[in-house]
Amino acid sequence: MSILQELKERILFCDGGMGSLLQAAGLKAGELPGTWNICRPEVVVQIHKEYLDAGADIVTANTFGVDRLKYHEASEYKLDAVIAAAIKNAREAVAQSGKKAWVALDLGPTGKLLKPLGDLGFEEAVALYKEVIQIGVREGADLILIETMSDSYETKAAVLAAKESCSLPIFVTVTFDERGKLLTGGTPASIVAMLEGLGVDVLGINCGLGPAQMKEILKEMLAVSSTPIMVNSNAGLPRSKQGQTVYDIDADQFAEIMEKMAVMGVRIVGGCCGTTPEHISKVASRCRHLTPVPVTAKKRTVISSFAQAVEIGKSPVIIGERINPTGKSRFKQALREHNLEYILQEGVTQQDHGAHVLDVNVGLPEIDEAAMLEEVVKELQSVIDLPLQLDTADSAAMERAMRIYNGKPLINSVNGKEESMKAIFPLVKKYGGVAVALCLDEHGIPETAQGRIEIAEKIYQNAAEYGIGPENILIDALCLTVSSDSKGAVTTLETLRRVRDELGGKTILGVSNISFGLPKREIINGAFFTMAMQNGLSAAIINPNSEAMMNAYYSFRALMDLDPQCGDYIGAYGGQGAAAGTGNGAGAGQGAALSLAVSIEKGLREQAAAAVTEQLKDRNPLEIINSQMIPALDRVGKGFEKGTLFLPQLLMSAEAAKAAFEIIKVRMDESGVKQEKKGTVILATVKGDIHDIGKNIVKVLLENYGYQVLDLGKDVPPEQIAETAVKQQVKLVGLSALMTTTVPSMEETIRLLRASAPWAKVMVGGAVLTQDYADSMGADRYCRDAMASVNYAEEVFG
Amino acid sequence: MEAGTWSWNDREILRYLGCKTADTPETVRTLIEECKTELEQSAAPKAVWREFPLTVQGQEIDMGCLKTSSRHLSRNLRDCDRILLFGATLGAGVDILLGRYEKLQLSKAVVLQASAVAMLETYCDETIKQLKEEYLAEGAYLRPRFSPGYGDFSLECQRMIVPALDLNRRIGVTLTDALLMLPSKSVTAAVGISQVPADCRVEGCEVCGKRDCLYRR
Repeated sequence: MSILQELKERILFCDGGMGSLLQAAGLKAGELPGTWNICRPEVVVQIHKEYLDAGADIVTANTFGVDRLKYHEASEYKLDAVIAAAIKNAREAVAQSGKKAWVALDLGPTGKLLKPLGDLGFEEAVALYKEVIQIGVREGADLILIETMSDSYETKAAVLAAKESCSLPIFVTVTFDERGKLLTGGTPASIVAMLEGLGVDVLGINCGLGPAQMKEILKEMLAVSSTPIMVNSNAGLPRSKQGQTVYDIDADQFAEIMEKMAVMGVRIVGGCCGTTPEHISKVASRCRHLTPVPVTAKKRTVISSFAQAVEIGKSPVIIGERINPTGKSRFKQALREHNLEYILQEGVTQQDHGAHVLDVNVGLPEIDEAAMLEEVVKELQSVIDLPLQLDTADSAAMERAMRIYNGKPLINSVNGKEESMKAIFPLVKKYGGVAVALCLDEHGIPETAQGRIEIAEKIYQNAAEYGIGPENILIDALCLTVSSDSKGAVTTLETLRRVRDELGGKTILGVSNISFGLPKREIINGAFFTMAMQNGLSAAIINPNSEAMMNAYYSFRALMDLDPQCGDYIGAYGGQGAAAGTGNGAGAGQGAALSLAVSIEKGLREQAAAAVTEQLKDRNPLEIINSQMIPALDRVGKGFEKGTLFLPQLLMSAEAAKAAFEIIKVRMDESGVKQEKKGTVILATVKGDIHDIGKNIVKVLLENYGYQVLDLGKDVPPEQIAETAVKQQVKLVGLSALMTTTVPSMEETIRLLRASAPWAKVMVGGAVLTQDYADSMGADRYCRDAMASVNYAEEVFG
Repeated sequence: MEAGTWSWNDREILRYLGCKTADTPETVRTLIEECKTELEQSAAPKAVWREFPLTVQGQEIDMGCLKTSSRHLSRNLRDCDRILLFGATLGAGVDILLGRYEKLQLSKAVVLQASAVAMLETYCDETIKQLKEEYLAEGAYLRPRFSPGYGDFSLECQRMIVPALDLNRRIGVTLTDALLMLPSKSVTAAVGISQVPADCRVEGCEVCGKRDCLYRR
């Protein structure tokens, strides 16, 4: 019988700690446990055997943390050999025990943080795991156990590696801290959403905590999981006693709590750090005769980001529609210029206005949409903790985005056409997601609700053939503009209602389509939105920055008993009377001129923006820049150099100026005036270094002073910097390094620049640098702070 | 961590920012207060430590899991017969917060950096103060903590210290190829244990050779 079959029949037992027992047998601190598979196999076999005798059904091969990073070309022991020996030892123990038991290939974290938090690329992580899994499968592992994972992104990399390498059952357990969160912020609900989307066979919790601390987290998991749950707890909470680690509970107490968890619904119980065969034996004897709690399908429609899950179907969900270039020239320009900051700001503003999910559409005819979508999704998910709705008609772009997405996304969209379903459903099956399903097919959009319902049914059926349940489909009832089809709204509303009442499904709608061609569109949009929610709309794609739409949303929830004590309504509107109308004295003429300069000097962003808007009414943009903004920036810069102003103030002023420049730029684009750039500067944090705050400070100042900055980012190879300098004939290159260990790569970059771009001047800066260091590397200028770089640029280009 | 529960050292924050206490403008003070609140919500401070045997001969230091040569550290370890290796972090949540503001509001990112460093320092000081008391109870004295990268205590030692403390598994700390610890607000240190009390005034910052450092105390 397969392990999944057996799991349906009874509670299974996993083994306990390996590392702590190896240490007791003499493994030294810092020594790789995997090596003992080869040099001390008898010890490893004996530990497995004791666990099997204690009642374990699953033995985890001693492969935790074994990968190419630890067993590389220069290592004494080879990766293949270590894994092969580990599986063989486990098999040997099973044979000796005479029991039926399963051998798990044990995978843990790589020991690296994934980008952008760390230096390991997502696909590199997938490749590291794949290599281990392929060897493990070849050597005869029965299942893949991915455990002690504390970052959802690395977890996804490991699961994908397993799915792409074998068809063995995949078990995944993650580690929470005492706040009930993963190290990178995930919650039980968010990780369950992602893992179920990926289709793992068993999921659960291990390590980090003792069983007592795990119970609350387990409760949350059981409430949302439709997948069997496994718990491998530590022997308790550790503390140091005379330099040794001891735990706060004994094996009997451990077993008692584990039994309670089995009664709650855990289907596989075992141990982690500090547990011994005694723990497992006591757990097994307490739990062996329990009737397992059946695993039920929760049928929740849920999506997730790295940090949170959003359930669709209870209270209406707001999906922000603003990250989309359609009809927005500034947005199009931002895309062409890779101005991700602009796009991020659109996301943050929508979140601040109450969006629960962000739609991401970056389709423009002249750009590589797949590459752009990947870039934007990576950027958004590193800054904003809302789940994303991936919005593209290009299935290759969709796959790339779904692959690197850190969670379970909304997928916009599939429709009733054969071709569409054939392209999208396999992706949903592989990567997980909730698909937006448009009620249209080869024959177009049906005019009647009945026609749309029939397409919805067809889509559900087709999805089911791929193993995708109706809970992972959101039916888009579609709305046609009411000014050209007077029945448009009625048909849509009827479709919404029937999907809810007859099909028991969830719905979604791009609400503002309804009002195309009409004046005062917000009036119709707001009314239609309320009607749609009343007819069962589960998720609305709207502009959350629109007051009319959010008014409808908050009112609906308050009226429909979805907002306890009207808390959110009061939160949104309660304090408004007092806060309204705070001016900043941005009058006309000389008063406003003073105000702009003062706003910049004081670092007041909003006031600077308001003042410049006022001035643009009757002044020429270039005059404003030259007579007011630049002098203000100069005064701030001088103050910083003299030590009367400090870095935070310098930056706040720079940000205020930037906000004003942004407004001026829009005006100049409209009128076709171009501001000449003073020159182009490359900025980069050198290879190996991943701190780039210093470089970013220099960037914002240089931009304010009218330079075009080619920001190559952090951890940049010398070759890339030299190539860019040659290709764009750049006269000034700024390099930053924070660590002594990365100074050599700065040196290497300078050497390469001298050889291939001898015309380029090089300025260097960063925490560890000194004048002497800079001289010895042959840099043209050592800049001890950001203003020094501006001064040097003025020298070079001036 | 709950907001308002951390005891902050404002002087240290201002020192890292290069601000003089007396003339810090209101705008910066407001920013500092915002950063404190957000850090308290994002930080998940954790620490681990483990004791190792120690022999020091001249500059040669042997702690079992790690052999190294360092004039500065050996001076710090005079009369010590054991050593505590120590690791601490504020967690990845702080890096996520820093990354967010580096992209959205640099001025705040700079203040967050300073506040986070101050927070980590306080956390390490407090944790080691407790350890000091525990050791004192058994008649032993802890020397000031000394981190790889201080003076001539080689950063290379991180390659041994991080696995010896099992930092990745226990508190989520990783090491890049360039020997940078991530999450970025993380610290490792060696703390000598001695039977002899010592008045050892020289601590971290002062032993460093970079005398023109902006942040030197």
